[in-house]
Amino acid sequence: MVRSDIIRGHLDAIILRLIYEKDQYGYEISKEISLRTNDRFQIKEATLYAVFQRLERRELIESYFGDISHGGKRRYYKITKLGKAYFKETVEEWQEIKEIINIFMEGM
Amino acid sequence: MRTIKAHVKELFNDIPASEQKELMMQDIIQNLEEKVSDLMFDGKDEEDAINKTIVEFGDIEDIKKEFGTNPKPFPLKNPKRFSLHLGFSLWGSGLITALFVFINLYYSPDVIWFVYPVFAVAWWPLAMFYRWLGKK
Repeated sequence: MVRSDIIRGHLDAIILRLIYEKDQYGYEISKEISLRTNDRFQIKEATLYAVFQRLERRELIESYFGDISHGGKRRYYKITKLGKAYFKETVEEWQEIKEIINIFMEGM
Repeated sequence: MRTIKAHVKELFNDIPASEQKELMMQDIIQNLEEKVSDLMFDGKDEEDAINKTIVEFGDIEDIKKEFGTNPKPFPLKNPKRFSLHLGFSLWGSGLITALFVFINLYYSPDVIWFVYPVFAVAWWPLAMFYRWLGKK
């Protein structure tokens, strides 16, 4: 597994992206992250819920209760308009950062 | 599944009770239980599955931090808000004082009585001033 401190700074964006695609519940998101990265990056539940809490407080996502499973209602997360705008901005910012860092990381 | 519930409750012990906390705990318990049953489906025995899930949960400090930073939606800690209250109280008491002075001098210039209501009104900006001082 890669050093996760660099990824940590981008967790908000990673999770926003997954919720942007479709409303999801917590475990679904952590499974999806492992699946898409081929287990090269796994998110810890504690980290995931800290991000949910932060995003919800900043009104970038909201939650609602969905279908019943495993003896309770699942809590789904949904991106808000603000969240979508924020994510798009983050993507543009990332393109910029990537180019800048690449200037120094490539060609050696 | 009892241990997952007990474990999560123990982790959340230090976080002050709130609706947010309850919701999150329920959510986490449910998701972890689902993970345990997935692991068991893959062939692990229950104890192994629960242990793995608990170990992989990670550090509760992350969540604590998020709860610590903003307990209330509108914190009154903000000194800017209080200087606003102070400003309002100064303007308000100033206008009331001016009104009393005017009434006094216009209708009964021989008797100086406006100081009495002014003393009463002075409590308003004073109270605000000391709260503002305390919050700064």
